[in-house]
Amino acid sequence: MSALRHAVRAWPTLLRIGVAEMVAYRAEIFIWFLTATMPLIMMLVWDRVAAGGPVGRFDQPGFARYFVATLVVRQLTSSWLVWEMNEQIRSGSLSPALLKPMHPLVLPAAENIAALPFRAAMLLPLVAVIWLWRPEMRWGVAAADLPLLVVAVFLAWLLNYLTQVCFAALAFWLQQSSGLFMVWFGVWVLLSGYAFPLELMPPALLAAVRWLPFRAMLGVPVEIASGLSSGLGALAAVALQLVWCAAVGLLARAMWRAGVRRYEAYGA
Amino acid sequence: MIKVDGLTKVYRVPKKAPGVWGSIRALVRRAYDEVRAVDEVSFHISPGERVGFLGPNGAGKTTTLKMLSGLLVPTAGAADVAGHKPWARDTAFLRQVTLVMGQKMQLLWDLPPRETFELNRALFDLDRAEYRRTLDDLVALLELGPLLDRPVRNLSLGERMKCELAAALLHRPAVLFLDEPTIGLDVRMQVAVRQFIEEWNEKSGATVLLTSHYMADIAALCPRVIVIASGKLVYDGPLADLVLRHAPDRRVVVATLRPLTAEELAGAAPFTQDDGRLSALVPTAEVKAAVDRALRTFPVRDLTIEEPPLEEVIARLFAREQELEQERKRGVVVAGRAAAGGSGSGNRGSGDGSGDGSGSGNGNGERPSA
Amino acid sequence: MSRLRQIWRALGAGTRVAVMIALQYRASFVGEAAMALLWIFWMVVPLFVVFRYTASGIDGWTYDEALLVVGCFITLQGILEAFIDPNLRAVVEHVRQGTLDFVLLKPIDAQILVSVQRTAPTKIPHMLAGVGLLVVASARLAHPPGPAQVLLAVLLLLAGAAILHSLWTLVVSTSFWFVRVDNLSYLLGSVLDAGRWPVGFFQGAVRFVLTFILPVGLMTTWPALALRGLISPAAALGALGLAAAFALVARAVWTFALRHYSSASS
Repeated sequence: MSALRHAVRAWPTLLRIGVAEMVAYRAEIFIWFLTATMPLIMMLVWDRVAAGGPVGRFDQPGFARYFVATLVVRQLTSSWLVWEMNEQIRSGSLSPALLKPMHPLVLPAAENIAALPFRAAMLLPLVAVIWLWRPEMRWGVAAADLPLLVVAVFLAWLLNYLTQVCFAALAFWLQQSSGLFMVWFGVWVLLSGYAFPLELMPPALLAAVRWLPFRAMLGVPVEIASGLSSGLGALAAVALQLVWCAAVGLLARAMWRAGVRRYEAYGA
Repeated sequence: MIKVDGLTKVYRVPKKAPGVWGSIRALVRRAYDEVRAVDEVSFHISPGERVGFLGPNGAGKTTTLKMLSGLLVPTAGAADVAGHKPWARDTAFLRQVTLVMGQKMQLLWDLPPRETFELNRALFDLDRAEYRRTLDDLVALLELGPLLDRPVRNLSLGERMKCELAAALLHRPAVLFLDEPTIGLDVRMQVAVRQFIEEWNEKSGATVLLTSHYMADIAALCPRVIVIASGKLVYDGPLADLVLRHAPDRRVVVATLRPLTAEELAGAAPFTQDDGRLSALVPTAEVKAAVDRALRTFPVRDLTIEEPPLEEVIARLFAREQELEQERKRGVVVAGRAAAGGSGSGNRGSGDGSGDGSGSGNGNGERPSA
Repeated sequence: MSRLRQIWRALGAGTRVAVMIALQYRASFVGEAAMALLWIFWMVVPLFVVFRYTASGIDGWTYDEALLVVGCFITLQGILEAFIDPNLRAVVEHVRQGTLDFVLLKPIDAQILVSVQRTAPTKIPHMLAGVGLLVVASARLAHPPGPAQVLLAVLLLLAGAAILHSLWTLVVSTSFWFVRVDNLSYLLGSVLDAGRWPVGFFQGAVRFVLTFILPVGLMTTWPALALRGLISPAAALGALGLAAAFALVARAVWTFALRHYSSASS
């Protein structure tokens, strides 16, 4: 319990250093930001398709709303722990972190969270341009669903982070696990709602995909934010996120511990 | 403060045949070599001691330091550091030790050192007032004032090491493990770091275990040295005894008022003339006789007695250990030699081991740790 | 001539080392190979989903014809990742650690040397996957391409690779001014990402940018048009001209950047 109190006391300092690092790496973060343009391209493609008439529940402004939500949620929930840990494990710079009386995954989490609001803020001009282009695009979240949206965004971030802990832990055995993570990421793009709204998938596929972790990592908050899901349906989706967070959290804990044990046996 | 008992670390190192084909075979099935990096090492260090940890490359120094600081779990043996088992890495232990590695940095590369200090304050949960005091001390001792607010990437290597030391000491650890803290630094900076370590040790009473390639570091800082070679402890005791034991010869050098004639020289043995200088290599016990004789028989202008450089002593020691190790492997135990290696008595040792090419090769192959 | 041989040898040595490193990191190697197969699937699924909702095709492209664009895209992406991207990372790392000096002291033109030093053999399956998709999609066309069309398409793909290389050189040149921009390669990859759709899908400013400024649309759409027999030799010449123009600009910027290069601290 005292460890938790310690973490809470340290958190503001960790966040502040996260912000300082973010400022130091602003060029890099801006580039990372620019790499997340896929929803933009998909929006333009779907807009072209919807020019001939609505696609399912989506008309042109509907697609714009969906992909703006995708862009924002993606920026608010992304993590880059796999690359960082790969590098730290390879170079042995994980060692100093292990000798600190705080879990070595707390600081990266703080750095991650500190950078997210800035990444989202960089989207504002882009969102403004999209809004000028499709002014019929409206904000469609009921006030009652707002707290749920906040929770859904946080859980999506957490699930992303925990997943990356699992892949990062693989680097203890494989030296480089970012290649493997990219395979996972490829699947994620298709099944999370990043490339297209999941409900546009063939129905047979959708029935299975709804329950996979990918949707919990992005689709759930995006669907709430773009008004596709609300009330009880949204609540059920957030519950699904919780279940996945718990499951992946347990897996991440086991993998990280096993990885550190191996690190202790072989050194860096 | 540090008790080590039979500490042993065995690594499994993947074997790989050279070239592309070897890589492909390794892809399918990996073979492993066992390497005993640290082999039943035992020693005790009392609180406040400064101990130098010596050995050729690959002897197991860094592995030992990593086990004592808790980063590596040993294969066998026990260690107690400040009352804790290091590799459990519990919070109370981590607050009492620090590890500085000359070749690895914990400083945040693109931020000023001040930010790393702040980070460590948070991570170690230090009281703000006490943190301030410690930082002020460190800033004064290491002259960090002008460096605090410049990004680490813009600091020189020496400046970075000073900041690294400060970051490692903010929590006032009782035990300092320093792995090559002066590596790559220029002489002036080496002296500064050395002086700082000594002052800090005297001020704080912290125990220091230090490895270095620079014998000057060891000579200046460490009254006691522990030497390991091929993973085995081969010497533990005062530095002065080590020198005496493994370099029992002194060079007596005489500058004369005039060059000696040929017949004077003929009766001057063991002195020989070289560049107008007379010199002789004599066992320590016979130094007095040699000096007396020189003063009596030669027109002496100046006379000095030189110790061989520490580097040479250590190199000789390592070479002899390596030789013994090889003999042990061959199963040939020559009693006299073994005794000589252990006590050094009676063995003149001048160059009998250092010249045969066993040199500093570590023979252990590749090691997963740097 | 001896200069060419020098370059060839540098390329050979680089490849050898890269193969050995890749095999050391064996899980990544297996991952990359699986990725190459997954890659096609990944690229085709969005296309498939989009075409579920248009009976008549978009901008004159049917599903099979759009597959050609995806094929060109994967091929170029493979070339980028196998031959261009590893060098980009190496140069950025050189600049960061101040070791570019060693490169500049070698008696070969620095731009050529840094362009051929590294390859990532594990990414070659990507390129082959793209070519495979192109063959399959061509066979499915109502009028499969003849030799002339294929030749023109290959020429245009090479021009596309040349433009990629120039874009890459431009991006690398900026690393002389900004510290730590290791992620530039991801940027380059994501810019290329728009190229998996026929450029005609986009309109207005976006289309203009994708045709002339960052001509990814041109790089992937035009070879596909060539396979469909819909491109004139004059337009093809224009594309080659554009590639040459990009190369000249890239050369000028690289030279300028080198002059302004100062080693990183110690």
